[in-house]
Amino acid sequence: MEHFIETIGRNMFAIFGVMALVGGLLMIASKSAIHSVLGFLFAMLNIAGCFLALEAEFLGVAQILVYAGGIVVLFLFVVMLVEVSKKKEGEVFQLQSRYAVAAVAVGAAMFLAVFRKAFFGVASPEALVLRPELAKGLDVAHQNAQAVSRGLFADYLLPFEILSVILLVALVGAVVLAKTERV
Amino acid sequence: MPTPTLTQSIVITLIQCLLVVIFVFVVVPLTVFAERKVLGHLQQRLGSTRVASGHVGFSGWMNRTMWKMGRVPVLSYWRGIPGLVGDVLKLILKEDIMPAKADKFVFFLAPSISMVAAIVVFAAISFVPGTFFTFPAWFPYLGGLPVSGGIADINVGLLWILGVATVGVYGIVLAGWSSNSKYPLLGGLRSAAQMVSYEVPLTLSLLAPVVLAASLNFSEMSSRMATGMPAWALVPQVIGFLLYLTCGFAETNRLPFDMPEAENELVAGFHTEYSGMKFGLFYLAEYINMTVVSALASAFFLGGPWLLPFGLQGLLNPYLPGFLSWFGQPHAIFFVAKIVFLLFTYIWVRGTIPRYRYDQIMAVGWKYLIPLALVNLLLAAVIRCFAV
Repeated sequence: MEHFIETIGRNMFAIFGVMALVGGLLMIASKSAIHSVLGFLFAMLNIAGCFLALEAEFLGVAQILVYAGGIVVLFLFVVMLVEVSKKKEGEVFQLQSRYAVAAVAVGAAMFLAVFRKAFFGVASPEALVLRPELAKGLDVAHQNAQAVSRGLFADYLLPFEILSVILLVALVGAVVLAKTERV
Repeated sequence: MPTPTLTQSIVITLIQCLLVVIFVFVVVPLTVFAERKVLGHLQQRLGSTRVASGHVGFSGWMNRTMWKMGRVPVLSYWRGIPGLVGDVLKLILKEDIMPAKADKFVFFLAPSISMVAAIVVFAAISFVPGTFFTFPAWFPYLGGLPVSGGIADINVGLLWILGVATVGVYGIVLAGWSSNSKYPLLGGLRSAAQMVSYEVPLTLSLLAPVVLAASLNFSEMSSRMATGMPAWALVPQVIGFLLYLTCGFAETNRLPFDMPEAENELVAGFHTEYSGMKFGLFYLAEYINMTVVSALASAFFLGGPWLLPFGLQGLLNPYLPGFLSWFGQPHAIFFVAKIVFLLFTYIWVRGTIPRYRYDQIMAVGWKYLIPLALVNLLLAAVIRCFAV
């Protein structure tokens, strides 16, 4: 019994990972847009579970808070508001399938390159961690939030700010698109 | 103190889960009962304050005897109990109808999402800091092991609570969509917009205690807010408390903000097509969410398992005489008493304030509550910077 539970506990990451994959497949395969959103939600919750299994509680919970709590709700909201009829749905999908295949091919190539490096490449001499002087006096396993915030606001401040500028650009772009449509 | 093995700790966790479920299933029906009675008194609806078992049987005999003795019968406080029994029986026994063109899977999924999201939140709520009780040595398998006051007192407990509570929105939105009917869809859309916008001031108002306590851990936050602060530093938190309570009412869809169901506009909103125990799960989830909001408010603003609100306990503690020292000790009963008081406030407000209009709700949320919450956060940061 003890051994069995321990084995399950050690493989929690794999269990959640497989379930996240199942969620992703459901998202792609289901016919109705709402079911796709549900599949996406399932995948997101399971990715949060993966983070929890790695003892990165902050990341896991942030995943739930941001994706499940915010973004997917908005997806659902939009899908429910803009209910596309079956015929038009077919047209939209046909129009986009060429670009979609191209995008998937590029993405697959990039992922393959990364995986090749990860599986067969030379391991990096040291793990990607916080600068030691920043992590001083910090029990990372129990002070998740502090560790992440030190990383964001001290070590990786510039990339973080650039990312937020990119988000701002996306926001402004969305407003511009919505405006032109209305005129 | 012996350390539990893995299996033993899992068994202990299951026992804790069981305790939480028992707590929920005791508190929720009593709240429903209290709601009927308090509303009955507030709005002079006599039925729920009068219905009793009548003049026959044991309770009737006790009533008559006490009247004869010249006293108000104790049982009169329990008048309205037949109404509660009827409610529960109706929920369990009513025929479960599913609309013909409903999306069957999602229709089935929605109430369960609501219920699960509402109850899983309790994982991070700790009723007592540290050990709740220890199993006596004669207890089989678990003898001598401590049971902590919370199931999983993780270091980001507050975020867990907020995150899982937001998943509850799906229950309402999906219920509205899957019923394949106009009023539920309108209710679902309304609730999605309302809950997503009120989450912002809710979270911002909870950030003030986070800044003051410098932690995201539930028990650490509640203990620091209760005893670790100078009393004057907590005065601005009164604003935060009122803000939080307002947003909590909106998050749980309670009366001044009950847009998703607004019965005279939308029939019954998102649960129009639901009946039987599926509707019962929505009903339960609403009351559990009320309990959770009350628990958070009492932990972070009213001093949690300690006695007095806003950290006054720490001020009083040194002057307590010896026989009253239990007064200053953390105990789950204080926590539960605060939760019950806040639940009463919920009912009180419901009986007092009429419903807002939809555009008014959104305007209040975005134009007043969010700026106020930001100012409150700034205030907390200033206090943190100079005082604590």
